[in-house]
Amino acid sequence: MNDDLWLEQLADMPLEESILAPSCLKSRVYSALIVAAEAEGPLLPLTDTKQAGRGLCVFEHLVQILPSPDAVQSFQYCKICHARVLGERVEKAPIFWPCCPYSEFQNR
Amino acid sequence: MPVTLPTTLDSDLALAQAVVARDRKAAAEFVQTHSDPLYRYVRSRLQPRFEFVDDIVQEVFLTAWKSLPRYRGEAPLRSWLLGIARHKVEDHYRERLRNLPLPDDAEDTLPLSGPDLDATLDQARAQQAAGKILTALPEVYRLVLLWRYWEHRSAEEMAERTGKTPKAIERLLARARQEFRVLWLTPSV
Repeated sequence: MNDDLWLEQLADMPLEESILAPSCLKSRVYSALIVAAEAEGPLLPLTDTKQAGRGLCVFEHLVQILPSPDAVQSFQYCKICHARVLGERVEKAPIFWPCCPYSEFQNR
Repeated sequence: MPVTLPTTLDSDLALAQAVVARDRKAAAEFVQTHSDPLYRYVRSRLQPRFEFVDDIVQEVFLTAWKSLPRYRGEAPLRSWLLGIARHKVEDHYRERLRNLPLPDDAEDTLPLSGPDLDATLDQARAQQAAGKILTALPEVYRLVLLWRYWEHRSAEEMAERTGKTPKAIERLLARARQEFRVLWLTPSV
């Protein structure tokens, strides 16, 4: 077998599926995407997110049921939440809130 | 009455549209669904320089986010993202190769005959061995091998993108292949 063919076969082997992206990376990427989204305009109000069938965390749910204007509904509450701080810095962070992205990013 | 089930492409398009609509939870799903395969791909192409991986993965997502309004669901979102990742990886190769000094002209290389892959190792061990050898190679050899064989680019394409001559790239590839083969046949590596 010549070197070209041999190296091609070696390179074409499938990637190892057990390697996962670190949860800190996922958290940082998510935070960066939200910053980029907010630079374009307000986030979708929480009520619309819920109507689209996506879950809200307990804090977002509280905001969503309050009679509040769109600006309040569009605010990204993760910015002021300890879950984001932990998620961006700690692997397997002790965050267990249901429907919290930073909790769902953990590789547990 | 026939029931039409939503396809992966439909759900990919729906997710993309929700991200474009600035639905924060859709953005989280986008990251959660696609970060592992993207990370695996970028990591495999940058080995062993893992310090660049996180930045490139983040760049891929941000570039994708800007381009999502143009995503039409004609290909799976994962393939579309991997296409962006491939561009970022090749940009990395190009930048590194442009800045690295090339070794002196190669002497005549050994005859081109690689070991028989099937006969030597099973797939997982072969992959592991290849990773170790790539790690042990000088960066310039590692980059040309990854670019040529893992990304399937021709020497001409690599030359065009790095501003070097095709002959210089061919020589570099020949030396890189030779070094790779020598290490492959060295039991301690």
